[in-house]
Order: sequence, then structure tokens, then C-alpha cells
Amino acid sequence: MSDKTLEIRNLHARIVDGEAILKGVDLVVPRGEVHALMGPNGSGKSTLAKVIAGDPQYEITEGDILLEGQSILEMEPDERAREGLYLAFQYPVEVPGVSIANFLRLALNARREEGDEIGVMEFYQKLQRAVKELNWDESIIERNLHEGFSGGEKKRSEILQLLVLEPRYAILDETDSGLDVDALKVVSQGVNAARGPEFGALVITHYQRLLNYIVPDKVHVMVDGRVVRTGPKELAMELDQKGYEWIREAVGA
Amino acid sequence: MATLTDNVNVNEAAIAAISDRYDEPAWLRAEREAALRSYAAMPFPTEKTEEWRYTQLKRFDIAGLELAKAPKDESISERIRMRIADSDAEGVMVHKGNQVVLKQAQIKEQGVVFTDLRTAVREHEELVREHLYSVVNATQTKYTALNSALWENGTFVYVPKDVEVELPLGAFTTADSGGIGLGRTLIVVDVNARLTFLDEYTSEPFDERLFFDAATEIVLKDGAKLRYVSLQNWSRNVAHMNKLRAHLGRDARLESVTVSLGGDAARAEVESRLEGPGSESEMLGLYFADEGQHFNQFTLQHHATERGFSDVLFKGAVRDASSATYSGMIVVDPGAQKTDAYQTNRNLLLDQESEVVSIPQLEIAANDVKCSHGSTTGPVPEDQRFYLMSRGLKPEVAEHVLVTGFLHEVMSRVTLPKVAEYVERVVQAKLGVPGVKEKL
Ligand SMILES: Nc1ncnc2c1ncn2[C@@H]1O[C@H](COP(=O)(O)OP(=O)(O)OP(=O)(O)O)[C@@H](O)[C@H]1O
Ligand SMILES: [Mg+2]
Repeated sequence: MSDKTLEIRNLHARIVDGEAILKGVDLVVPRGEVHALMGPNGSGKSTLAKVIAGDPQYEITEGDILLEGQSILEMEPDERAREGLYLAFQYPVEVPGVSIANFLRLALNARREEGDEIGVMEFYQKLQRAVKELNWDESIIERNLHEGFSGGEKKRSEILQLLVLEPRYAILDETDSGLDVDALKVVSQGVNAARGPEFGALVITHYQRLLNYIVPDKVHVMVDGRVVRTGPKELAMELDQKGYEWIREAVGA
Repeated sequence: MATLTDNVNVNEAAIAAISDRYDEPAWLRAEREAALRSYAAMPFPTEKTEEWRYTQLKRFDIAGLELAKAPKDESISERIRMRIADSDAEGVMVHKGNQVVLKQAQIKEQGVVFTDLRTAVREHEELVREHLYSVVNATQTKYTALNSALWENGTFVYVPKDVEVELPLGAFTTADSGGIGLGRTLIVVDVNARLTFLDEYTSEPFDERLFFDAATEIVLKDGAKLRYVSLQNWSRNVAHMNKLRAHLGRDARLESVTVSLGGDAARAEVESRLEGPGSESEMLGLYFADEGQHFNQFTLQHHATERGFSDVLFKGAVRDASSATYSGMIVVDPGAQKTDAYQTNRNLLLDQESEVVSIPQLEIAANDVKCSHGSTTGPVPEDQRFYLMSRGLKPEVAEHVLVTGFLHEVMSRVTLPKVAEYVERVVQAKLGVPGVKEKL
């Protein structure tokens, strides 16, 4: 495929020395587009997201992941991130004793040469812009990473980080679940702000509701470790009304 | 198996020499003699002794060492001067070898005594006589007996009734030659008085081996409040043994933090005896052993009376074939009803070559109490490491962040920001965070 895509090719993955979860995923997200990934609980969506990010819990047994034409299978998670990949986790972990501000400074500096660390002013301006975009209180940046955060606050933090780190490709794993309506709008606004010709995204969700705000260019449906159908945004509405059973039947899964 | 043998230099002549040199009063001579007898009667610990089972005893061996003498050089290193400047203390003292090489204090509060122990014996004899050996004495361990018999100098602080000393006081203990070093701190905070005190042990590396035996006695009268920091950051040629014990009167409150970072081996025994109803003892601890260091920590929360509160939080990390042990004990006497006592020990095991032993224990003889204890030991959580790396942090940076973040919980509870910052810098330097070592 072309240069400017994130491409998943016949990907098979399992828990290290365990059960197979991804059983031949094919998927292409071009830069500049936003795709939705839907599918029943347990079908492997989060696993796919984490495998793309390089989670060492999983091992790839077949297939490839290509970032702009280059395989990233041999890259560590941090290298992938520095190449422009970003995963907003379904369940962001708490990291005690590390403030959001310090953490993001380290993350930005990791993308720069040694000796060319980001200036204090530049950093805070960037951070403040992102905080404002999310209608958030500034004091949040001094809090420890997700320590004592509510479910919705954690999701918001994932988008805050996305805005600061400006990845080329982002995977948002159920960023909408646990958000109230206002927060949903704010978060969608954040994602839409990142949208543009240089940004591609795969948005994992169970709800059409989110896709009203973040309108996808395409919708993929995953069942039992495979993408079984790809269609236009209307496919999401159809799933919303009819559930997954008809797709299972149609693909014989 | 390691067996420890006696030291020929610890004898009657040695204590007589000290008593003569300083023309000590008869009661003190008698105390020293009794302590020496007690020392001689006590066997050295062995690995069969329960409290010493996981201690690498050889590393605390005193055989063949001479008693500490005057320092080779009475000057104070630039680093210690910077530590003093950074400590915000309104009174500091520097002990080096058996000498006091600096004593400066401008304490504005009335009646506060802050001086070296030797001077205190002369100028405040009654105060010293009443409290010295009342908390740490020759009956406890081989090493408290050794200290009680042979201490040559130390630090004495007395805060009179109702006086609040606003700024911290501190003692820095350093050395430039080997042998058996002895240090003693006696702090008496009278009724409703308040004090913050920092005891720091540090040195520039020197060739010989130093065994340092420290005794810290804390007396808190009714309603007294003390914040106490013990910060051990010796050079790697030192073995450090410290008994830090407090007796708390009615409604007294102690907030202590014991930090072990330096030396080759260190053992900290941190003990509170809650004697007055309603007294509170918060005992924090932090240790980080690297490059083969061996740290032992022991805590005792002894509730001798009712309505006491005590809370122990000790956190540590080990790496590069190092080892740490924690053993904690909560004792609740019969009649110590409405006791609240908590004990938590958490350890990060940063590689397979290192080792942690953690043994929390309870002994409860009252029925209306709230007690809990917990202990965890494990590597850096993989999901946290993956999360940080998924944001682009290199593995080593992710590890720095996770270790400092883990230990931060302890320092965040220390209400002395400068001390907390310094400890975090030393931890970062040990982790090899670029650019930190230069700033220590
Ligand atoms: N580390 C793991 N250990 C054990 N089982 C796992 C692990 N990771 C994934 N699985 C299993 O793999 C399957 C797919 O899980 P995954 O989280 O990818 O589903 P999902 O499509 O994201 O579901 P949901 O919509 O509920 O978030 C599930 O059956 C899950 O239990
Ligand atoms: Mg999921």
C-alpha cells in the first residue's frame, strides 16, 4: 500500500504462550482519515490496539504492521511512539508519584535530540492550550498521572496527551465510554482539533453516539479476531439498530 | 556462617580514658562501666538470632577496628557546607571523628539548649542526667551497649515547655578515617513544645573502613511535637548501625522519617513507645540499595497505653545485586484499648540478582483495637512501564520515573520540602538520571 498509511496485514497474535486472539486482521488507515472500529465485547479490538502499540503481553505469530510502509514489529513501544503512533487506552493505568506535567515534558523531550530539550515557556504554552481545548482546570497538570482520577478524567487525560504529543496516527480505545454528554463533546472536539491531512485515527467504540461527533470516513467491524466487514459511516448506524448477530450470520462466524 | 568476634579495643581502659579526658562526673563513669559490663555479657548476634536472621552480619563486623580518633583534617567539605546552607536550619553542628568541628546557632526562642553532648554534660548536667540512657541504653542490643559505654560526643537538644522552635535544627555527622565511630543524639521536647530536627550522616569516600554506631534518644513530654529526619548517605566504605527510639507522653506526636541511601551496609531500628494516652507516632522510611548495598530496617510500634495512633510506611527499592530487609512489629499491651496501628512495607525489586525480605508482625493483647499490616515486594509493574513507553519514554527513563514515583509517596508526606527534594535528587543520582549527580 501507499506510503501514508497505517496498515495491518494478516495479523495473528496471541497472549505470550497462550491463546490466539487476533486471527488474521487486515486493516488500512490512511493518514488524513478517521476510521471507526466496532465489534462485540471480546472480539479483540483492544488487543489489536495494544499489539499495534507494542504491548509485550502479546506475541505476533503471523502477519505485519506497517507504518508508512515500514514494518514496526521489531520496534519497542517507545520507538513506535516516537515514530508517531499513539494509543489512548481503554483502561489507562495509574502511575503514582509522577505529575502529568513532568511526564509530558519527558515524553516531548524523548522526541527531541539531547541538548535540545523543550523550553519551559514553550512547554507550558503547549500544555495550557491543550488543557483549554478540553475545558479543563489548569491544576490538573500538577496532579499525579491518573492517581485518584475518575473514569472520565482518565479518558480526558488520554486526549490531553494526544493533543500535546501530536501523533501522526492515533488509536482511541473506547475513549467515549464513561464520559458524560458534555465531556463527550469536549473530547470529540479535542479529537476533531487534531484532525487534518497529517493525522490518521482509528476510533474504537460501541456507540453511534460518538460517531455523531467524530464522523468516520470508514467503519470496520471486528468479530472473533478478524475484520469481517468494512463500510461507510452508515454501517455504524446499522449496527446500532440491528446489533452484531446479522453480521455473524452473514460471515458465518 | 558468619560469626562475629569481639574487639580488643573495647575495654575498661578505653572508657576510663574517655571519662578522664573529659573529667566526667561519677554518675556518668558508673553508667559507662555498667554499659560495658552489659556489653561484655551480651553475645554478638548470630544468624540464628531471630532479629538478625536476614542480616549479613559480617558487614557489621567490628573485630580489629580501632576506636574513632580525631579527624585527619578538621575542615568541612564543600558538599556538606552546601547541605548546611540548603537545610534552612537555624542551628547546626558538625561532628567529625570524635570532634565537633562546627557549631553555629542563633536560636531566637527562649531557653532552648542546642549543644554538643559533652558540653551539655558540663553545662546542663541535671537535664542530661535525667534523660540520657532513659530511652536508648545498654540493655537493648550489643550495639546500643557499645554506644552507651563508649560514646565520646553527640548532640543535645532541649526545648522548654510551651516553646515552639520554628526553624529546624540539625546535626551533620561526617568522618575522614576508619575505625569504630560512635554518635549519640539526645532530644528532649518538654510539655507542649515543638521542634524539627535533622540528623544527617555523610562523608566523602576515604580508604579505611568505618563502622558507625549511632544512638538516637527522643523524649517527648505531654503534648510535645517533633519532626525528626534521619538521613544516612555515608560514602560506601561505611557500615552504619542506628537505634532510633522515642518515648511519647500524653498527646505527644512524633513524625519521623528514616532514610538509608549510602554506606556499604546499614541497619536502622526505629522504635516508638507510646506511653501517654492519645499519643501519635508516624514513622516513615525510605531506602534504595544499589551496587551491592545491604540495608536492614526494623520498626517497633509499642502501644503501652490507650488511644495511641501509630503509622509506619517504609518503602524501598533494590538493584545491582543488593539486598534489603524489613521487619516490623506492632505490640499492643493489655489495657492499650482504642489503639490504631498501621504498618506498611513496599519494595521494588529492580533485578533478579537483588533480594528483599519483608516480615510484618503483630502482637496484640488488647481487644478493642484497629491494626493492620501489609507488605508487597515485586518488580516495576509491567503495565505501568508499557504505558510510559507507549508515550515515547525510553525504557531507562520509564524506569527512573517509576522508581522515583514509587518512593515519592514517602517523601510527599515529609513536611520539609528541602529535605524531600534532596532525597529525591540522591535517588535520581543513584538511578543515573543525567545531570543530577553534579547538583548534589
Ligand atoms: N492479557 C490477556 N490475558 C487473558 N485474556 C486476554 C488478554 N488480553 C485479551 N484477552 C482475551 O482476548 C479476548 C479479546 O479481548 P479484547 O480486550 O481485545 O476485546 P475487546 O474487543 O476490546 O472487548 P471490549 O469491547 O469488551 O473492550 C477476550 O476474550 C479477552 O478476555
Ligand atoms: Mg476493549
